Amino acid sequence: MSAEESGLVKIALVSCGSEYAGVQPEFEAAAARVDAKFIYPEIDIASIDTIGKDFGLEVASGDLRLMMARAKAVVEGTTKVDGVFITTCFRCAEGAIVRNEVRRYIHKHSEIPVISYSFTERTSAGTLLTRLEALTTIARRRHLLAREVQTGLTAGIDSGSTTTKAVVMRDNKIIGKGWVPTTKVLESADEAYSQALKEAGVAREEVQALGTTGYGRFLIGNHFNAQLIQEEITVNSKGAVYLAGRQKGSATVIDIGGMDNKAISVEDGIPGMFTMGGICAGASGRFFEMISKRLGVEITELGALAVKGMQENVNMNSYCIVFGIQSLVNSLAKGATPEDVAAAACYSVVEQIYEQQLQEVDVKEPLILVGGSSLIEGVPKALGDLLKIEVLVPENSHMIGAVGAALLASGYVEE
Amino acid sequence: MTEIKQNEITKYIVISSDKVLPADAAMKIYESEFPVTVKETCFGLIVTGSKEDVLSVVEKIQQMDKNHIFIKDRGFPAGDERRCRASRGGGPRPGFHFLREEVKMLPAIGAALDELEAKESVKEKHKEKSRLKVSDLEKIIEEELAR
Amino acid sequence: MAKVFIYPVNSLILSDLVERFEHKPLTMMNQVREKVTNISLDSPPINITPEDPKIGLRYAAVEVPAGVRGRMSLIGPLIEETEAAIIVENPPANFGCVGCNRTNELMKYLVRDKGVPVLEVKYPESDEDARDFVNKIAAFLESLPEEKPDEDEKPVDEEPAEKEAEE
Repeated sequence: MSAEESGLVKIALVSCGSEYAGVQPEFEAAAARVDAKFIYPEIDIASIDTIGKDFGLEVASGDLRLMMARAKAVVEGTTKVDGVFITTCFRCAEGAIVRNEVRRYIHKHSEIPVISYSFTERTSAGTLLTRLEALTTIARRRHLLAREVQTGLTAGIDSGSTTTKAVVMRDNKIIGKGWVPTTKVLESADEAYSQALKEAGVAREEVQALGTTGYGRFLIGNHFNAQLIQEEITVNSKGAVYLAGRQKGSATVIDIGGMDNKAISVEDGIPGMFTMGGICAGASGRFFEMISKRLGVEITELGALAVKGMQENVNMNSYCIVFGIQSLVNSLAKGATPEDVAAAACYSVVEQIYEQQLQEVDVKEPLILVGGSSLIEGVPKALGDLLKIEVLVPENSHMIGAVGAALLASGYVEE
Repeated sequence: MTEIKQNEITKYIVISSDKVLPADAAMKIYESEFPVTVKETCFGLIVTGSKEDVLSVVEKIQQMDKNHIFIKDRGFPAGDERRCRASRGGGPRPGFHFLREEVKMLPAIGAALDELEAKESVKEKHKEKSRLKVSDLEKIIEEELAR
Repeated sequence: MAKVFIYPVNSLILSDLVERFEHKPLTMMNQVREKVTNISLDSPPINITPEDPKIGLRYAAVEVPAGVRGRMSLIGPLIEETEAAIIVENPPANFGCVGCNRTNELMKYLVRDKGVPVLEVKYPESDEDARDFVNKIAAFLESLPEEKPDEDEKPVDEEPAEKEAEE
């Protein structure tokens, strides 16, 4: 990390309820781990009386009005910050309205990166870490994120919760790929990396720079002496716009991984707003694995099946990986075809992502779908049908993290 | 970090007096030799110490201008890092804003207490605002139109 | 001496007036003090831990946000002790412990529901209002019993809330 990168990042904490929900220390702990400090923007008390009218949103709770006033202080530059973390209590309707509107307001009126989150008393520092890491990266490493071309001989390893992916790239081309199920984090990474190196026909020592990402990024990054260890929000945004050839302008990236999913609004390759889902397995690749098993098909066959089916023929009353799959299976007994069930499964995952993730980011075209689940043809189709826009699935979309890491790592080749 | 003693209490002394300045009150405490910690603020003083000492000090200070010196408990000891503006990164603690609003009201509250004490006014008939009766409104309209 | 719940629970004016008329204000400040001076806890800024919203389940169901239940874990015990209450309408600048209107609605409801004497007054906006405000509160406080027969004989609440002697 350069001297410029190592500085403390100032994040405005625009929150309601966190001090009373027992989660404030978790917030502080997560911030400390990414070398960030929360600050509370100074506001003019007189502005509180009129903030409802000024902002256009009148709410009863004082702390929510305080959030609006603090957002205004950030946008107007009264308080200088590198990022904003907006957070309110989970299940508070008034809070959710303010959180969303404040996030949009900051995004619209400034270049400052923003994340938003709704917490319960169970929210832990670990949950917030990836999000805050992404937020500080955007603030700290803008120059790195500006990279659009891969140079030299670099590699990237994406240690995901379900599969581990590796690529070797040379002069802006992928020359080797590895893809293995994640069993033991280090062994799987080693195997995927070896596959990629073998295909590329290069030795490990020849690789000039390595980047790691995904759940196991720290472990494998330290093991392989990686030049870049980076969370997957930044890496995947970069990888997605790179692979899709949409590095300039706006884009929305949806990544459906094995255990979670992400929706990221990207501007010139730099993530702006993003959300991460991770609570419900019903909105992840795991759901597809389960339904494939119940249908008796390989997961690689599920997509082709789904595009032939009609999701409308299946009545699903839950997104849940247990109850949802139960109702899918029951519908077979009522005469639905496996094709319909496969289509309904794709629709179910996509609809949940739409309801729970896409509300938090502004969807701007092109919509780039990545992650292992993007290879299931029924998924982009269902997403396109739901959003009424064309969904782009770039080649190697499942390798997104590894490609993004190899691309960003080439920033360290000259160093 | 400020040393925290479990048996200590903290009180806010908010001074809204023409006769007593916060500095005078602070001086009085220093002179009294009670072993309490005193912090001067824009509204008055914050006093931390053992319960007996703080109560005695507060009583003494309030007697300097009874109806214009107000007392409130404070959860945090004076200068506690967790609530200190400098260490928590900008922006006053949340309770500050309401205190500031209440302080604006203190001259009027003090005057009311003076009056109450002098038994000048015990109770004035409180006029509740209520909706005008239709018949009354009609009368007013007629009167206005007749002009 | 009656234990008087005040709303806003952090009000300088109300807690001062209650004490001036020789009753005991039940305030948030004392609850916070108990929390922040508890050296066995380390959950800054006010030492509310994830356990507190669970204690708050006593006053609000699990679908109520954690911030409401965390606040109720402090305010609930005060309500249990309440013998009389002064509730001020439309107070300005409701932040921090009174920053959540849902909590405020709930605490006022629970106090009113208790069946103790409650005085509801408007926050003064002029000198005239202030006089009226003080007079009403004074009359209310004077109407409350001065001495409890014996503090200790009072039926004990299930949860012993803060006692002055322990502070």
